[in-house]
Amino acid sequence: MAYTFSFPEEVLEHVFSFIESERDRNAISLVCKSWYEIERWCRRKVFVGNCYAVSPVMVIKRFPELRSIALKGKPHFADFNLVPEGWGGYVCPWIAAMACAFPCLEEIRLKRMVITDESLELIAKSFKNFKVLVLTSCEGFTTDGLAAIAANCRNLKELDLQESEVDDLSGHWLSHFPDSFTSLVSLNISCLGNEVTLSALERLLGRCPNLQTLRLNRAVPLDRLPNLLRRCPQLVELGTGVYSTEMRPEVFSNLEAAFSGCKQLKSLSGFWDVLPSYLPAVYPVCSRLTSLNLSYAIIQSPDLIKLISQCPNLLRLWVLDYIEDAGLYNLAASCKDLRELRVFPSDPFGLEPNVALTEKGLVSVSEGCPRLQSVLYFCRQMSNAALHTIALNRPNLTRFRLCIIEPRTPDYLTHEPLDSGFGAIVEHCKDLQRLSLSGLLTDRVFEYIGTYGKKLEMLSVAFAGDSDLGLHHVLSGCDNLRKLEIRDCPFGDKALLANAAKLETMRSLWMSSCSVSYGACKVLGQKMPRLNVEVIDERGPPDSRPDNCPVEKLYIYRTIAGPRLDMPGFVWTMEDDSSLGLSDHAVD
Amino acid sequence: MEMIKFRLPVLVCNDLYWRRVIVVLWEFLICCSKLARFYFSNWFNMSEIDMAVIKPEMMRPYIWLETSDGSIQQVEQEIAMYCPLICKEIIQKGMGSSKSCAICLPQRVSPAILSLIFDYCRFHLVPGRSNKERKSYDEKFVRMDTKRLCELTSAADSLQLKPLVDLTSRALARIIEGKSPEEIREIFHLPDDLTEEEKLEPLKNTTDDPRIRLLNRLYAKKRKELKERERLKSVEAEEEHVDKRSVDDLLSFINGNDEDPKGIKTSKNKKKNRRKKEQHQKSSSLTEASKVTKKEVNGQNIRHPNSEADIIAETSISHTEDVFAHKEFDDGDIDDGIDPALKEKIDREVEDFARRLNSDWPERMQELLSSGQERKTTLFSPNGNGFLRRNACMFFHCF
Repeated sequence: MAYTFSFPEEVLEHVFSFIESERDRNAISLVCKSWYEIERWCRRKVFVGNCYAVSPVMVIKRFPELRSIALKGKPHFADFNLVPEGWGGYVCPWIAAMACAFPCLEEIRLKRMVITDESLELIAKSFKNFKVLVLTSCEGFTTDGLAAIAANCRNLKELDLQESEVDDLSGHWLSHFPDSFTSLVSLNISCLGNEVTLSALERLLGRCPNLQTLRLNRAVPLDRLPNLLRRCPQLVELGTGVYSTEMRPEVFSNLEAAFSGCKQLKSLSGFWDVLPSYLPAVYPVCSRLTSLNLSYAIIQSPDLIKLISQCPNLLRLWVLDYIEDAGLYNLAASCKDLRELRVFPSDPFGLEPNVALTEKGLVSVSEGCPRLQSVLYFCRQMSNAALHTIALNRPNLTRFRLCIIEPRTPDYLTHEPLDSGFGAIVEHCKDLQRLSLSGLLTDRVFEYIGTYGKKLEMLSVAFAGDSDLGLHHVLSGCDNLRKLEIRDCPFGDKALLANAAKLETMRSLWMSSCSVSYGACKVLGQKMPRLNVEVIDERGPPDSRPDNCPVEKLYIYRTIAGPRLDMPGFVWTMEDDSSLGLSDHAVD
Repeated sequence: MEMIKFRLPVLVCNDLYWRRVIVVLWEFLICCSKLARFYFSNWFNMSEIDMAVIKPEMMRPYIWLETSDGSIQQVEQEIAMYCPLICKEIIQKGMGSSKSCAICLPQRVSPAILSLIFDYCRFHLVPGRSNKERKSYDEKFVRMDTKRLCELTSAADSLQLKPLVDLTSRALARIIEGKSPEEIREIFHLPDDLTEEEKLEPLKNTTDDPRIRLLNRLYAKKRKELKERERLKSVEAEEEHVDKRSVDDLLSFINGNDEDPKGIKTSKNKKKNRRKKEQHQKSSSLTEASKVTKKEVNGQNIRHPNSEADIIAETSISHTEDVFAHKEFDDGDIDDGIDPALKEKIDREVEDFARRLNSDWPERMQELLSSGQERKTTLFSPNGNGFLRRNACMFFHCF
C-alpha cells in the first residue's frame, strides 16, 4: 500500500508546492495516475523548450492553473543567421489562446520568437495581474506595443527586452507608465536604438522603490547617468548607456559620487564607447561586483587589468579579447571565485590576429580559478596540450565552448587534429553539459564524446568530422543529449537513419550544409510520426531535385502537435503516413 | 474586540458594594478569557463561538485520548491543546476530561505517531527558545524513514497542526527532488499505473470514438490510392529527373553507398561551389515560385489538419515537450500506417546497417584517418574570402 495512501489531495499538493524545478515536476507527473492529476492542477509554471513541440490547446488543457509560461522558438543557430527570415516561431496563437484561458497569467518569457504589437496589446488587456515580460532575442514588434504594456499593466514588475530587435518608433513609449505605477523591479531596454524620454525615465525611477535592475540603452548620455542613479540608489544591477562624453572634471566627480551612493550594486554592463579616463568612476563599487559585462567596451588590456584587479569577488566576466593573455593572467590572480568567463572576438573577420590572446590566457584562468564552470572563448590558436591542461585543472567545468576563429585549424604546435584535446575535456569534465567544438577534428573526437560525454545535453559542431561514424558516435553514445546542432560537416543519411529512435529522446537536431539527402528525410518523416522533419531549402521545392540530392538545412524536432501549419514557402515538413494527405506531389 | 455576552451570574445579594466587586471580578475574567482566546485563535484560527464558552474543566492538567487502535492514554493538557483538533474537542464538546469520555483521534493517528507529535509540541510549547534552536530541533526531528514521515504528515494534517504539516511536507519535498519517477514510486510504494501511451503521449489516437477510427481508415485508404496512382504515373513517365522510387529502393541505394565515402565528399564539394554562386544572386524569384506551389498544393490538400489535430488534442492526455520520458523508443509500439511487411523490411535494414556500422568501425577508422590527410586540401575552398565570411557569421554573438 502506498505510503501516501492516507493523504488527502491538499496534503500532496502542499508537498508539491515546495517543488519548483521543471524536471522534478515532470518526474512527479510520471509517477502514477493520481499524482499526475494532482500535479497538473497545481502546476503554476511551465517551460516549453520548443514552441512547436506542443500546441497551446494541449498546454492549456493539461495545466488549467498556470501563472507563468516560458517558450522558445527558433533554433539556436538563428543567432548566426543560419535560419532564414520568416521561418517561424510566432507566438501569436499562444497569446490568443492564453488570453481566453488564463486570465490570471502573470509571467511570459520568450526566447527567439516573433511577437507583434497586436500580441503585446492583447497581453496588456487580457491579464489583469500581469507581472513579468521577458523577450530575449525576439523580434516583430515596435515601441507602440511597449507603450500598450506600459499603459495597461498596473502590476508590472519586470520588462526585459534583452537583445531583441525592436522597431524603435519613438522614445515616448516610456511616458505611458502612469504616475500611479510604482511596482517596477527590473527594466532592460539596452537593445533600443532611440533615446527614451529621459525626464519620464527619471520620474519613473524615482517612484519605483523596489527597482533592482536597470539596463539602459546606448542613447542615454553619460552626463545624465548620475541623476538617474540618484533616483534609485538601491539598484543591484546596472547597465550604463554610452560611457563617454567630453572630458569635464565635474562630470567625473558627479559620476563617482553617484556610484558611491549605490551600496547594493553587484552587476555592471553597458559601457559602450568607453573613455578610459572615466572608468575609475566605478571603482567605489568594484569590491562588491559579482558580474561584469564589458563585451561592448573597447578598452585595452592595461585599463582592463586596472579595473578587474579591483573586483576580487567577481563571479562572472564577459569581455572582449582586448584583455589579452596578460589580462587573463591577472584575472586568474585577482578573481579566485570566478565561475564564468566569456571572451568575445574584437575582430572576427580579420585574417591576422589583432590582439595577443592565445590559448595561454585560458590555461592560466583554468589554473587560477578553482570554481570556474562555464567558458566561452574565442581565439585563433589552440593546442592539444593546452586542452589537456585545462581539462586536468578544471574537471568541474559544465559548459565549455571553444571557438577557434579559422575553421579546421589544427594544433598549432603539432599540426595534428584537436581530437585528443577535446577528448580530454569530455573525459575529465564528467559533469559537462554543454560543449562547442572547433578547429581541425576527425571522427575520433566524436568517438570520445560518445564514450565520455554521458551528461552532455547540448553539442554544437561546425566543420568537423570525416564520415557518418562521427554522427553515429554522438547519437548512440550521449545518453542525455537534448540539442545537437551541426553545420558544414560530412554527415549523411546513414547515421541519422540508424539512430532515428534517438531523435525522439532529444529536443531537436539541426543540420545545415551537411550531406543528408532528401530521400532520407522522407523516410525519417514517414517512419517517425512523433518527429517533425523540416527541410529548409531556399533553392526551391526538394521534389524538383533527385531524392539523393542533399538538403540545404534540416531541422528535426520531436513534437506531439503534429506538423506545423505556419511554414513559409521554403520549409517543408516531411509527412508521416499517419497524418492525412499528400506529400508535395500535386494531386491530379 | 467585540463584546462577548456572558450571562452574568445571578447574585442573591442586595449589597451594592459587593455587586460592584463581583462585576469587576467578572470583567477581569472576561479579559483573561479574551486574551486566551486571542492567543489561541491566532495560532489555530478557531471560531469566535468556540472560544465563547470556557468551561471550568479546562483547568484540569490531563486530557484523555483514544487512538485508532482503541488504546487510551493521557497527556498533559497544555500539550494536547497545541493541536487544534483536540482543542476543539475539549472546548466545543467538552470531551477528554475522563477515561470514559476520551477524545477519539482520527484514524490516521497511531499511538507511536501521537507520541512523536507530542514530543514536537512539548518542545515548541516552551516560549523561551530561539529561532535557531527551534530550526535545529525541526531538522533533527524529521530525520526518519519515509514511511514514518508520511504517517507523521498525515497525522499532523488530521490534527490540523499546521506548523508540523509544513515541516513534514518540506521534508517530503526534499526526498522527492532530484529523483526519477521510478525511484519515487519505489520510495513511496506507489503503483505504476500510467499506461505507456499516457507516459509517452503519442499522436496516435487513444480514443475509442468510432468516428475517428472511420476517418482514419478512410484517409489511409485514400493515401494508398494516391500512392498507387503515383506509382502508375512513374511507370508511364518519360523523364528521369523526377525521382519516384519507393522507400525500398531508397534504402538499398543508401546502403549501397556505404563503401564509398569519397562519393559523399565530392557531391558535397559540388554542392558548395554551386551554393556559392547562388549566394550572390538573390533567389527571391525561387522563393516566390515555391510559395505559390505550396499554396496550390495546400489548396488542393484533402486533409484537414486542424480538425484531426484538435480531436486528438482533446481526447488524449497531454504532456508538454519537456515531460517526455527518457525511454528508448520502442519501434513496435508505433502504428504509423506503413504496410507492415514494408515496415519490417525498413526496420531490418536499418538495424542491419547499425550493426554493420558498429562492427567494421575499427577498419573504417583506419581507412578514414589515412585518407583524411589528402582530403583536407580538397575541402578548402579556393575562394578564401567568401569562405571566411560565411564561417565568420558563426560568431555573431556567442557561439
